[in-house]
Amino acid sequence: MLAPDEENNSEVRREDQDNINRFARLNARLHAIRGERQSLQKDLEGLDDASTELMMMGSGADGDKVMLLAGEAFLEVSEEDATEVCEKQVEKLQDQVNSLTEEEEGIVGEQAKLKTILYGRFGKSINLEDK
Amino acid sequence: MSTETALATAKAGEIDDGKDVPNMSLLDITEGDNERGIPKAKFIDDVEAFSSTFEPPASPELLIGACSDLMNKYRNYEAQLQQRQLRLKQKVPELEKSLSLVRTLLEKQGSPDSTTGMARYSLADNIFAQAELDYENNNTVNLWLGANVMLEFTYQEALDFLSQNQERAKKEMEDAISDLAFVRDQIVTSEVTMSRVFNWDVRRKRNTKESTTSS
Repeated sequence: MLAPDEENNSEVRREDQDNINRFARLNARLHAIRGERQSLQKDLEGLDDASTELMMMGSGADGDKVMLLAGEAFLEVSEEDATEVCEKQVEKLQDQVNSLTEEEEGIVGEQAKLKTILYGRFGKSINLEDK
Repeated sequence: MSTETALATAKAGEIDDGKDVPNMSLLDITEGDNERGIPKAKFIDDVEAFSSTFEPPASPELLIGACSDLMNKYRNYEAQLQQRQLRLKQKVPELEKSLSLVRTLLEKQGSPDSTTGMARYSLADNIFAQAELDYENNNTVNLWLGANVMLEFTYQEALDFLSQNQERAKKEMEDAISDLAFVRDQIVTSEVTMSRVFNWDVRRKRNTKESTTSS
């Protein structure tokens, strides 16, 4: 509870409400982005392991019998095909991770601006921290 | 029953015992809807003025009660939307997998590398069977449409069909996401309204106490 002299008497105006709502939306989006990025990074690790395995296989009789998961079945493909597919997938995921990181930075910047506005208006009466 | 009728027919605090107790329906604290019929929480510019618009003036308890009812309904709707979003989130990658399989088949058909290939498909849980695929001559795939129905498509038809489904699923997901954001906004607005009404009441009681002790 705030002491009487810490109380803030500014009324909540419509634009303040809009700012608060926008902050809440950005926060939700931020958490979603962080979750998505984590799962993409797990996928990337898996692909990394897969390409390492492919390289270690070397050439020989085995070079023509890599099982590639397509849909829910496995297709026999050559080592080069498999490596190509891996590399394309890595590129795609890496692009997604990069764009998510960019979006996250934008959100954090906008949140900082909203924080200055709202703390300026309401001081201690409002709590905009995450934990 | 659509959401708006469900919310509008709920009334809070209806007592008929001869005294003139104000009834606050959810229509009093909402204004308008979004595109899919979810009501928008009213933003109250001045709590005191708003409570005097009722005859007799609405007590803080009534206002807070109505707000919290509204918030519960919003939270229910939020949970529903989150379920829907989760379901769609699983559907889109599945469609993507099927699409990539059809594209691979199309590619292999065009490539001069090999005319046939071996594939291992899932026969039952944890059991895979071997199959020889005729890349050159095969032109069709069978797609599972649900309800024990499977339909044969050519590669191109399958691509079109699956892409269409994928577009629809993505659009539904976008709708669900935007509805979710909208509902969260309304929850925040009602929470803020609730605390403002509470604070206004606390200040009012404090002022009346001060004026009675000073007189």
